[in-house]
Amino acid sequence: MSTVLAAIDNSGQARSVLAVARAVARAFGADVEAVHVTTDGHQSATASADMAGVPLRLVSGDPVEQLVAAASADDVLVVVVGLRDHSAGPRPGGHTVLAVAERTGTPVVVVPPEVDADRAISTILVAVAGDPAETAALRRSVELAEETDLELVVVHVDEEIPRFTDQVQHEVDAYAEEFVARRGPDLRGIRLELRLGAAADEILAAVETERPGLVAVGWPRAGPSDHGDVAREVLAHCRVPVLLVGRTGPV
Amino acid sequence: MTSRPPRGDGPARVPSELARRFEGVLLWSDSATLAERTARSLGALADAGMAVAYVAPGSVDDLAARLGRLPAEAVPVLVADSRGSGRALVSGTELTVLHGATDEQDAALLTRVGEALVGQLHTFGLQARREPADGTLGRAVIDLAPGSTAPSHTALKRMLHDHGIGGVAGLVEVATDVARAEGIEVARVTVSGSCVVLSLIDTGDIALGAADELWRRGIDPRTLLVLVDGAAWLPHRAVPVVVPDVREATFVLVGARDARDRPGLLSVAGGAAGLRRVLADQLRRRRGRSLPEAVGQPGWTVVTELRSSRAMPDQDVLFALADGRVGSGGPPLAGERGDEGWTVATSVYDGNGPTTHLLAGPVVFPLGPSRRAAPVARLLDLRSGLVHERSGSGSSVVTSVRFLALDRPTTAVLRAEVPTGHRTGPPVRAPRDADSVETGRLAGTRWMRVAGTPGGIAAAGVQTRAVRRTGNPGVEPTRAVVDRVVAVRSGSDAPPPPDAVAAAAIEQAGVGVDRLLASHRRTWADRWEHADVTIEGDERLQSAVRFALFHLMGSVGDAGEAAVGPRGLTGSGYSGHVFWDADAFVLPFLAATHPASARAMLEYRLRRLPAALAAARALGRDGARFPWESARTGEDVTPLSARDRTGRLVPIRTGQLEEHIVAQVALAADTYVEWTGDQAFAAGPLRTLLAGTARYWASRIRVDAEGVGHIFGVIGPDEYHEPVDDNACTNVLARWNLRRAAELLDVDPDGVTPEERARWLELAAGLYDGYDGDTGIYEQFAGFHRLEPLIIAEAAPRRPIAADLLLGPERTHGAQVVKQADVLMLHHLVPDEVVPGSLEPNLRYYEPRTAHGSSLSPAIYASLQARVRNFEPALESLRTAALLDLDDLTGSSSGGLHLATMGGLWQAMAFGFAGLRARSGSLHVEPVLPPQWSGLEVRVRFHGAAVHLRKERARLHLTVDKPTSLVVGRSHHRLGPGTFEFRRRGPDWELMS
Repeated sequence: MSTVLAAIDNSGQARSVLAVARAVARAFGADVEAVHVTTDGHQSATASADMAGVPLRLVSGDPVEQLVAAASADDVLVVVVGLRDHSAGPRPGGHTVLAVAERTGTPVVVVPPEVDADRAISTILVAVAGDPAETAALRRSVELAEETDLELVVVHVDEEIPRFTDQVQHEVDAYAEEFVARRGPDLRGIRLELRLGAAADEILAAVETERPGLVAVGWPRAGPSDHGDVAREVLAHCRVPVLLVGRTGPV
Repeated sequence: MTSRPPRGDGPARVPSELARRFEGVLLWSDSATLAERTARSLGALADAGMAVAYVAPGSVDDLAARLGRLPAEAVPVLVADSRGSGRALVSGTELTVLHGATDEQDAALLTRVGEALVGQLHTFGLQARREPADGTLGRAVIDLAPGSTAPSHTALKRMLHDHGIGGVAGLVEVATDVARAEGIEVARVTVSGSCVVLSLIDTGDIALGAADELWRRGIDPRTLLVLVDGAAWLPHRAVPVVVPDVREATFVLVGARDARDRPGLLSVAGGAAGLRRVLADQLRRRRGRSLPEAVGQPGWTVVTELRSSRAMPDQDVLFALADGRVGSGGPPLAGERGDEGWTVATSVYDGNGPTTHLLAGPVVFPLGPSRRAAPVARLLDLRSGLVHERSGSGSSVVTSVRFLALDRPTTAVLRAEVPTGHRTGPPVRAPRDADSVETGRLAGTRWMRVAGTPGGIAAAGVQTRAVRRTGNPGVEPTRAVVDRVVAVRSGSDAPPPPDAVAAAAIEQAGVGVDRLLASHRRTWADRWEHADVTIEGDERLQSAVRFALFHLMGSVGDAGEAAVGPRGLTGSGYSGHVFWDADAFVLPFLAATHPASARAMLEYRLRRLPAALAAARALGRDGARFPWESARTGEDVTPLSARDRTGRLVPIRTGQLEEHIVAQVALAADTYVEWTGDQAFAAGPLRTLLAGTARYWASRIRVDAEGVGHIFGVIGPDEYHEPVDDNACTNVLARWNLRRAAELLDVDPDGVTPEERARWLELAAGLYDGYDGDTGIYEQFAGFHRLEPLIIAEAAPRRPIAADLLLGPERTHGAQVVKQADVLMLHHLVPDEVVPGSLEPNLRYYEPRTAHGSSLSPAIYASLQARVRNFEPALESLRTAALLDLDDLTGSSSGGLHLATMGGLWQAMAFGFAGLRARSGSLHVEPVLPPQWSGLEVRVRFHGAAVHLRKERARLHLTVDKPTSLVVGRSHHRLGPGTFEFRRRGPDWELMS
């Protein structure tokens, strides 16, 4: 049995994280386990876990290192972490979250502060760039979805204006088919939504339209630290849990 | 099924350089006899599909007699008399003479040259005399000492020196200079006894001519084996033949002559036995089912290599094949997706209304999945219509060659060599996501049928597998060779019966892969003979243009009807719906190169004329209204809405408003007649189409109080603005339509009365066209000049660009931003309907306002820019059009190649650069050559004549094979057959010879 690991702190975000972790676990048929790195006590975290009925493991040390270590266990399917509001903690908002996401190979679900945590997950919206390096992230999302009954909606945002629009009633389909075909035959059944414009803006707009339970975006695990701008932008404004899917190379 | 294993190649019995499969063999002998066993070997090779040529002394009848009775199914053998008197094809006992003798023009030329040389020798004091013809045609003999005994060589030299000629070499120089002055660029001059022999050709040329003939029959010199038997010698020199450098052939000297001092020449010892050993080795390879080598001349191939197994659908589509009736393609044949592929058939659809789409038929080429597919190397041989593929590495390599037989449409042929453990699966496979598939076995075939609504596609295949023994048992792995022949049959009204398709498969398989290959290759070479375009100075562009021509030829059949969608038979994109792309962009190429295909395209329109008449009636109008998009029935199948690239749902109004297609259909029919002179069509179907379309416009035009005609509420080719009134393109095309109908329907079988004709002419005369005499500019539609003067050339980061997506539909609609040539389509399509001299001002005005956001635009602009000699922008646009699919500039090529762009590309070459135009029974020629190119050649057919244009700097050569009416520059000529040189003289061309 695989495990969804909920990384909780002592903030009020812990309840949302646990709720999302349970929703993710239901969607993927997994168990939920919580982990708390004791840097300033653990009573709030323990209470939140108890209230959610989720077993809690306490560890101590550097939060990033401990969470990366916990996430690396074989049975961990995803790690769910909370993104605190910028003013809610001693460190810049998202510091720990992004550091964990950068260092672990395990997908990370980031729970934004204003999330509707009790919402069931029935649809995953996967945002992909034109970069073929995204294919691995997309395929991984598809694999996750295939193991469940989740509906997968792929949003591809082109930031560059196309050269041609011959007959829109056929051209967009032709483009979409090639886009999917390039990414492998196993992706052919997916629903593709095309957008044109600033990637983060269009992804967030698609989230508003599609109202998914989870948004998956690619996250660079290697490369310069200033990459992953789209994912950061989405994280900053999204009200739906965001699945950061590791990939190599910049967005 | 598995057949008896073929004999392996066995140990090498020929030099290692010859231990490969050749596609053609040329036996060049100086002997007047041919050993019976050698003749039998040649016959056996021809029977095995090899191209065979035999050059030797004697008449073609003699040569044919020496070959003896050839097997009935053998590929015709080419025989050529080494005296230059004849060339013929021998098939069974039939002899087809290709070139009976040097033609009259050559004889006249030689007479002239001979007399000129005699005159020149007289100036040296030599009493030379031209000898009467000796029976060897194509040469002139001048005797320096007539009536005397032939002098010795020394005496001859002394005589020449005494007359001020520098010996024999000096004599040859004099003769060569005289010949050149008379127009023989490369004269063959020899001195024998007291005679100077001056020839257009010599024995080397004869053999090279045979190689040329083989090239015309599809044999690449790199796969040609030239066996030189006896004292005959093939000179290695450039000769004026179309064949690429024949030095790429493999030359073998048979017999005792020592070839060591002849670089590039191999030798085989043993005389006739050695010769037969080489021939036997070739025969053994063919019986062992060897694969033809993947070769291709520069400018004749498309090559890709995939190093990983990553899906590259935009590359896969480059290797799509079509035979005019069926198209097929897919990913690499072996590998992860070795079960996949697609097949479509012309006019066979599924679904109804706007959702009508091409039916996906049984898949015919895949070789089954394998684990190690990468790397994959593919080569498309454009000249022969073959795809060579090699995938995997080491012992897992899978190699194959495949084609759709052009001479036997709907026949798919594959030969593959695979590891013995590789399971290729059945010869026919179900298409992906097919709903209605039946399958079975019948008479040794596997068949499959996919049903559409209401038609269907059926395929049946015969597949044989044989294990090939290798030369080193236990060291080299054994390999299996798979031969697959699949017959595909389609029906647009009902699925074909399996027994018929199975019988067809058995019949074609009985021909054998090698003979199918030989005739397919020959057919493609023949098509190129009348369609090729040669660009000297830009190899990539050359390949790209030929790539376009290849798919244009492949996508349109030449029998029955041809429904040509925007992607032809290279994919299912655009659902296979038929647009104006077919009539305005694709048809002109076929009218000028393969009229039967153009006729089949028109047949598609003619058979849907009742639907067009009904569509007009439904709108309360007269005549025929052809739909913007059509499929099987001829009813409009244009979708009513779609999501654009931004995700917005947008209404699609082209089906209701883009009516210029009505005139485009009429213009296509007229174009066909202009190029072909098909009087039967002109007297019947053309009149019917012109009458129907003219009546439509007559009922569509509204005449205002001032007597001016208007067409309100349309969409022109510039689809950024809709609806518009008085679109210049629509109105002028309608005017042309009315005038042409009135002109041709003077004696009418379609019930056109004099009053109706007069009304058409009156409407045409009064129809508003937006032309402003002060500026020389046509207003694209009423109010265009009042829109925001947005110059997209300055506003856009680059062009081509989809301006509607850059600016948004609202701003685009309110601005002077044009999607593609609209007014300028008139200058391209109907130059006689626009004001003379208006091209340049309109080009200056509209080009900066054009986004080229349609893939149709760049080629048309290339053509027009070439006409006004703006070469830089012309070439830039030309390259965009040429590389549209090769570089996947649309991101959508995998759904099929952009056939209309390809047609536009040919039009840019033929109409723009070569300056060809068929009009009123004459072929107009006014070529231009960009400084980047050193030469341009275009081959077309005009009124049944084969026309070959070659443009160099200030020279133009026109070759026609029968008397043809030509207007070169401003001068009218009736010329032919022959080659005629023109030189630029000011604004005109002067005929030199």
